[in-house]
Amino acid sequence: MIHISETATRRPKAFLWASGLFSLIMIMLVALPSIWPTTFPMLHAIQIDTDPENMLAADEPARVFHNAQKKVFSLYDMVVVGVVNEENPHGVFNKKSLANIYALTAFAKKIEWQDKQGKTQGVISVDLMAPSTVDNIEPGGPGVVKFEWLMNRPPASDAEALSILKKAQNLPLLNGTIVSEDGKAVALYIPITSKNISYNVVEKLKGKIAEFDGNDKYYITGLPVAQDTFGVEMFVQMAISAPMAMILIFLLMWYFFKKASLVVSPMIVAMVSVISTMGLLIISGNTVHIMSSMIPIFIMPIAVLDAIHILSDFYDKYPLYKDRRKTIQHVMKELSAPMLYTTLTTAVGFASLALTPIPPVQTFGLFVSIGVLLAWFFTITLVPAYILLMPEESFANFGMVKDDKGQTTLLTRILHGLGRVTYSGAKLIMLAVFILIGVSWVGVNKIVINDNPVKWFAPDHEIRIADRALNERFAGTYMAYLMLEAPAESDDLGAYAKEMADDMRAQNSAPLTAMVQELAILAQQATDKKELVNLLIKKMEQRMETVPDEEWDSWDNALTWAGEYMNRGEIFKDPEVLNYMSRLQAYLQDTGLVGKSNSLSDVVRTVHRELFMGKPEAYRIPDSRAAVAETLITYQNSHRPQDLWHFVTPDYRKTNMWLQLKSGDNRDMSALIEKVDQFFNENPAPDGISYDWFGLTYINVIWQDKMVSGMAEAFIGSFIIVLIMMVFLFRSLWWGILAMVPLTFTIGMIYGIIGLIGKDYDMPVAVLSSLSLGLAVDYAIHFLVRSREMRKKFTNWKDTSEAVFGEPARAIARNIIVVGIGFMPLLAAPLVPYKTVGVFISSILVLAGIATLTILPALIRLFEGLLFKKNIERM
Amino acid sequence: MKHMLKLFLLLPLFWAVPAHAIDVMDVVKKANHMSYYQAGDGRAKVNMRIIDAQGRTRVREFIILRRDDDDTDTRQRFYVYFNKPADVKKMVFMVIKNMDRGDDRWLYLPALDLVKRIAASDERTSFVGSNFYYEDVSGRGINEDTHTLVKEDDNYYIIKSIPKDPQAVEFASYKSWIHKSTFLPIKTEYYDAAGEKLRSYSALKVDMVDGYPTVTASSMEDHRTGSKTLMNYSAVKYDVGLPENIFTERYLRKAPRKYLR
Repeated sequence: MIHISETATRRPKAFLWASGLFSLIMIMLVALPSIWPTTFPMLHAIQIDTDPENMLAADEPARVFHNAQKKVFSLYDMVVVGVVNEENPHGVFNKKSLANIYALTAFAKKIEWQDKQGKTQGVISVDLMAPSTVDNIEPGGPGVVKFEWLMNRPPASDAEALSILKKAQNLPLLNGTIVSEDGKAVALYIPITSKNISYNVVEKLKGKIAEFDGNDKYYITGLPVAQDTFGVEMFVQMAISAPMAMILIFLLMWYFFKKASLVVSPMIVAMVSVISTMGLLIISGNTVHIMSSMIPIFIMPIAVLDAIHILSDFYDKYPLYKDRRKTIQHVMKELSAPMLYTTLTTAVGFASLALTPIPPVQTFGLFVSIGVLLAWFFTITLVPAYILLMPEESFANFGMVKDDKGQTTLLTRILHGLGRVTYSGAKLIMLAVFILIGVSWVGVNKIVINDNPVKWFAPDHEIRIADRALNERFAGTYMAYLMLEAPAESDDLGAYAKEMADDMRAQNSAPLTAMVQELAILAQQATDKKELVNLLIKKMEQRMETVPDEEWDSWDNALTWAGEYMNRGEIFKDPEVLNYMSRLQAYLQDTGLVGKSNSLSDVVRTVHRELFMGKPEAYRIPDSRAAVAETLITYQNSHRPQDLWHFVTPDYRKTNMWLQLKSGDNRDMSALIEKVDQFFNENPAPDGISYDWFGLTYINVIWQDKMVSGMAEAFIGSFIIVLIMMVFLFRSLWWGILAMVPLTFTIGMIYGIIGLIGKDYDMPVAVLSSLSLGLAVDYAIHFLVRSREMRKKFTNWKDTSEAVFGEPARAIARNIIVVGIGFMPLLAAPLVPYKTVGVFISSILVLAGIATLTILPALIRLFEGLLFKKNIERM
Repeated sequence: MKHMLKLFLLLPLFWAVPAHAIDVMDVVKKANHMSYYQAGDGRAKVNMRIIDAQGRTRVREFIILRRDDDDTDTRQRFYVYFNKPADVKKMVFMVIKNMDRGDDRWLYLPALDLVKRIAASDERTSFVGSNFYYEDVSGRGINEDTHTLVKEDDNYYIIKSIPKDPQAVEFASYKSWIHKSTFLPIKTEYYDAAGEKLRSYSALKVDMVDGYPTVTASSMEDHRTGSKTLMNYSAVKYDVGLPENIFTERYLRKAPRKYLR
């Protein structure tokens, strides 16, 4: 290591030029394909990915299932537009507001364009749900049933507007979904071809909305919108926070080392490290995800850590040598081992994230890890090189003017005082530590695991405002889907034919008995059950052409029997099953977790009621399968027969309940999953029906679960690796364990605080544990390495501690301050995960620093005999 | 293509068409006659397959009876009796097509034991879940649109029709390809205001039945949903001698078996 540094000091210009060139190449490799994608097809352009679905690998079963079901039921991601009018007593149910809503719907239906691949992108107009695109079914007078568009044209009067409201409120599938529960607002559900065009669609909608005058308020939300907007803001974030961190760190170092030209060198290290890491990330074809967008802000402060150690030591030692090269040699000799180890531990801490089952977190961990190693390399080469390029004269008044005992600066005085306190008050410090651990334990047990992508925006963000406005008024804008499925049928044709033959004989029908023999022959020809029955039906139809009139009825009945026999498998036409679904829906409503559920059972009940003059008591499932089939075919006589296939597959063996949730919190979704499990346990489903979930709200829960368990594994893994590294570094088990104490205490405290203040354990918080591990141990390494070395010069710890709380403690303290403040710009972010990371990483590092400077000396004081016994002889 | 070939084979039968300018309303009237009014009555067994964008198929089978009140190509009656799927067997849909007002439509639902009139408000809703609308089955009044002959080639009159009441329908216009010798519409395409195709109808097969050129296979495709419906006609008969009284409410519950066998 020292060798590389020496080479760098000998050829400083070459090293600086080389790293400059390297950065330039990186920038070119990213910029060229991003700006001219067609000219450089072999290179990877920058790709933004804001889809939380990608928190799961593409082949993750829950995700594969989610996408398969979306296809089966023709479901799309939706943009939700809510229209509210707070001034009119009837809300938007007035002539003018509805005319605007009508115009907006017509406009939305036309949003469509060809993308670069020639695929049509935009709004799926046939599935758009709005007052003007859905059907109303109602009795149209005695004995008459009426199908009509709910709002065929803009209402001619306010009274007509109110009648539209009344009709919609009467239809369970529309009430709370298209019209608000208070009857004053309207929501449009705009399905789009793909999530990542929602920003485009929303911008177009906003353009149209801007043309309207009047006092209606339009709120736009939905998970896809949140995700796409997030991507846009992510860039703003990177463009603001990273440079701000840069400037802050520069100013702080300038303050510490009083020489602007010198502190430029860590800045160069930070820049080169960030550019190289991001360059590698992009040219290796990785996407810039919410996680990887945080890489620069992580590398920046970490990259300057080692440089601060070098500069700090250089600053303190320069007055002794008055020679750049000699000072640097001394500094590098002293620091190369601890710097290498701190770098390795940090890299291991981040690399452990690769053990999590979440691809973006893996990428994040790996690349920060690479960045840390790069930063180390650039630090030990470029900082010495840079110093040697500066003229010797410029260092004339440089460095700590007084020696360590001079106690000139406030920092120096504080640290000396602290050193003495840790010696005399060691037992008190440990007592305080134990009390704090106890308190943390209480907090850790209170931790609530929860996340919600919409809450990644600050509470005053327009998406959050829209989210609140709509969920207050409607049944919910968060979608979850509960799929019920009939068990797979056995494909044993022989057994089926035999069973059917028995059933035919049992019918007491002459034609059926006559056909039994035929069935046995047909069973040889048919390949599946459906074909077998179809062949039988065909045979019967042929026979019927010649049977005499008096036998015809019995043949016709036999034919009906066979047809129904074939359709036995259509279990979601079975009244018993539909009633079970109704009970499940009532139960879901009672949990308070579901704003509203929509299902096939609602369709059947509503149509049945309207066929029976709209009487409330007719809102039920009819008693026979045929009657259910008749309500369903009646429903299909509407303008939108295809809507049925959002709820059930045409073979009636799989059904889909659309649940609208008012909250997208994973905690609430998890609670709902548990409640549904409970229902199925207590009320076994008929016909062996099984169930499963899909929908974005559910997907979020899945990746969160994986994150939590994955993070625990990653944390334990990296903890053990770092411990082994420490034992190896110090060649002592006790010293190794000692090095782990501050970070263990810190992490315990931080999670205790998270639990106590009621902050949700969400994605950023989860990532923090592994990440802080690698960073927090750095201080302990520096402290212990330097302590052990200095102990050689003194006879006891008391005197050693005086010295340790000189330069080494100052370097650590400077680091604490720089890093603690360096992450602060994240607080200026409009996006909550960045804020969370900023607050917690700063607190972790400050706390770990304080723990290092208090707990470690206290423990060394208490276990001095144990720790230095063998040491003296060996070193 | 195969169907088109068959069609050309039939062409010589009706080759005697005078080659002079023709009034567009004449074409429309003749096409209307050929589509819905040939002979005084008729019956057919229809097999309907509805295929959605995912290729999933549903089958319906029904007998359709039709009787004209007179030979003025105006008032007529339809009786549609369902055989399949088995769970809606015996369901009946009946229409009395009026000229002066909306059609009268009834639906008989045997398991629910209900006879329902369907309000005349809108005839452009799906016919039992297919891509055909009610109006496609019983015919759209020729006076509801303004027709123009946009093109005429060797085989077809191409007519563009624009609705007189655009609010009442989902399309902005439609174009029909009327075969010159048979006057059967071979293709109809419906467009929205932007000129985009919404639905298209094709006659896939034309046969001579009892001396009447008859479409025996047709399809209707919805370009927005990607769904398609195929209709196959068999056991087509004309001049059956259907009595008028079977087209009454009384016969909804008691199907006239004689004519349905």
